[in-house]
Amino acid sequence: MEKKIFNVLCLVVAAAMLLVACGGKSAAGPEVLRVWIQWGDNPQQIQELFDKYTAETGIKVEVTAPVETDKILPALTGSNPPDVLVLSGGDLAKSYYKEGLIDELSSAIKAGNIDMADFYEAPLDQCIQADLTLCLPWGTDAYALFWNKDLFEAAGLDPEKPPSTMEELVEYANKLTVVGADGSLEQIGFIPNHSWSHSDLYVRMFGGFWYSDDGSALTANSQPMIDAMTWQQQFFTQYGADNIQAFSSGFGEYGSPDAPFYAGKVAMMVEGEWQTGPNFIPALKPELNYGVAAFPPPADHPERAGTIVNQGTAVVIPSGAADKDASAKLLAWMMSPAIVAEEFCFNANLPTSKKAAEDPCFKELGPKFQVFVDLMASPNAFVVLTTPISLELNDAMIAAEERILLTGADSKAELDAMQAEFEAKLADSLK
Amino acid sequence: MAIPDSTQHAAKRRMILGIKLPPRVVWTKRTRADFRTGMFFLLPWLIGFLTFTLYPMVISFYYSFTIYHARRLPEWVGLQNYKDLLVDDKFWLSLSNTMYMVVFAVPLGLLASFLCALLLNFKVRGQAFYRVIYFLPSIVPTVAGTILFLWLLNPQVGLVNTMLAKIGIDGPNWMADPDWSKPALILLGMWGMGGTIIIYLSGLQDVPVSLLEAAELDGANWFQRLWHITIPMVSPITLFNLITGMIAMFQYFAQAYVISGGDKDHLGQPLGSTLFYSVYLYQNAFQYLKMGYASAMAWILFVIILLFTLLLLKVSDRYTYYSG
Repeated sequence: MEKKIFNVLCLVVAAAMLLVACGGKSAAGPEVLRVWIQWGDNPQQIQELFDKYTAETGIKVEVTAPVETDKILPALTGSNPPDVLVLSGGDLAKSYYKEGLIDELSSAIKAGNIDMADFYEAPLDQCIQADLTLCLPWGTDAYALFWNKDLFEAAGLDPEKPPSTMEELVEYANKLTVVGADGSLEQIGFIPNHSWSHSDLYVRMFGGFWYSDDGSALTANSQPMIDAMTWQQQFFTQYGADNIQAFSSGFGEYGSPDAPFYAGKVAMMVEGEWQTGPNFIPALKPELNYGVAAFPPPADHPERAGTIVNQGTAVVIPSGAADKDASAKLLAWMMSPAIVAEEFCFNANLPTSKKAAEDPCFKELGPKFQVFVDLMASPNAFVVLTTPISLELNDAMIAAEERILLTGADSKAELDAMQAEFEAKLADSLK
Repeated sequence: MAIPDSTQHAAKRRMILGIKLPPRVVWTKRTRADFRTGMFFLLPWLIGFLTFTLYPMVISFYYSFTIYHARRLPEWVGLQNYKDLLVDDKFWLSLSNTMYMVVFAVPLGLLASFLCALLLNFKVRGQAFYRVIYFLPSIVPTVAGTILFLWLLNPQVGLVNTMLAKIGIDGPNWMADPDWSKPALILLGMWGMGGTIIIYLSGLQDVPVSLLEAAELDGANWFQRLWHITIPMVSPITLFNLITGMIAMFQYFAQAYVISGGDKDHLGQPLGSTLFYSVYLYQNAFQYLKMGYASAMAWILFVIILLFTLLLLKVSDRYTYYSG
């Protein structure tokens, strides 16, 4: 009798396992699609957005956001990757494509009838490698100059007139810096790498980048790179790297009311569009009297006014995705202007679709946000170019930048070393 | 009586690395059945070991000779990864940062925990309370403890520099200063040494009272008793703590990751002073997707740890006393 029960149980378990193994996909297409979003501040809102796709198509979409980078690789190499993956930037897309983890998107673009002319050129550039489209940009960020009008007034500067050249910015920064009796800093005009490295913007202002325009060659030790590093170095030389480090260490948390720009410790900063949106300055420090303008160009190159460097999300389809057609349809839906506008209005980030940018919701975010929207159409809009070695090069560059800014190392020597180390690696990675 | 040659040969065969093996099993029907039952009960562990320990080790050894492509077959490159490592500045930097921690943090931690254990072994009022106080930090999760230290050591508003300022010392920039970032991490490690203290405490309680009393009767003072009796008697514990501490330090990762704020751009800062071996290995594996290169690093680390452990075991013969 016991043996009979045991046999029946075994049969039930085996049948259940078989059903589980065969389930999940019907002949008519998938019932559930999985979207992973590496970045994702508001998971609930993102899920609600994708619920609209369910309402339109009957296909349930499960959103996981945010997803840590470490989890993405095992998922992509495993047998059950997400159907659509939203990465934080094009750099990872290039690395993943090199490893055969994601698909080239031309067939998905064709199948989904995605209007490529609707993308702003700069953010789309991060997804292009030779003539391959490896990802599609969804939302993006741009950086501009924020200045504290009250501190300008206190320093005897016109609060409505931000610096118009990089040289003037240095002058203003000096006037806005307050040094205490003991030599320590009490207020600083400008820290070039606050809150993180902005070398990409400065080097564009000096007329170059660390890759050639098509991303096929490394130009880490080009004159614009040397100029950009040396320009930043002067702030550290003047006030003392240790002084700046000690002063910075007392800064309040990013995204808190005590953040240094909000607290009047830093008078000018390079920051992104989201700061003007409802989750940052208007929520954390509504009384802050500040202005936003494009970062100024060097005095001898006024034609570089309006330069911005975009950096933003990149949507890819994993090569192991179960149903590529279903992934492509979802991708096309995500790229539709109405969805782009809804998602990025909510988060106060910039849309990558020109039609979406015309949505009145972006106007409602206020004139300061509009500065960034207008800059998206600037002829001097660029993107952080990416290659399969971007992540490794980025770390090396941050380390070199640290040595240049904090120890006064020679910009040229540091960049020459970087060029020597990565030139061949880039060539290898593009083979 | 002289032992016949064949027996001598057999005795030699039954020794491995100087360890005497148990006598050869004679297989009967009963022992076979016992063996099968034993293996059956051992199976859950055995499967886990083979799948999650042995297989990854073997395959990572193979990967260390390849360029690992995530979805495609690995590409055999022979010793190239190892050769590249030898000329990789960041590899040497990470190794030297790690050696710094092994050389300074481990002995300092041992000394401090032994001294604490000695103090906590004094029969005074509130002994149990003091023991709890010293042990408490070691149950604080690593992430929380590290974040706490980031606050304590904040150059502007941290408690440590505030206290130092009160006695006229201008405190360093700690985690933001490449000369002080590793000492700051050593301090953090010493704060959480409760586990080592407990092991020492148990060792101290095993020191025979008869020996200490005999020495006292012979006129030995407290320090002489400590030097000639207590320290030799706890030497196996010191060896154990030294080896486990050293292995843990070679694999130092979590604290270095936490001080970067989880931001990959800040890993190893300031100026590469907290780029430890495991941190660089992690970067290669999961950020740069160079799994073959990272596997080679893992095997080099394995060999380094093995050599250091064997060296310590060899040297310790002279300094370790096993009462048994």
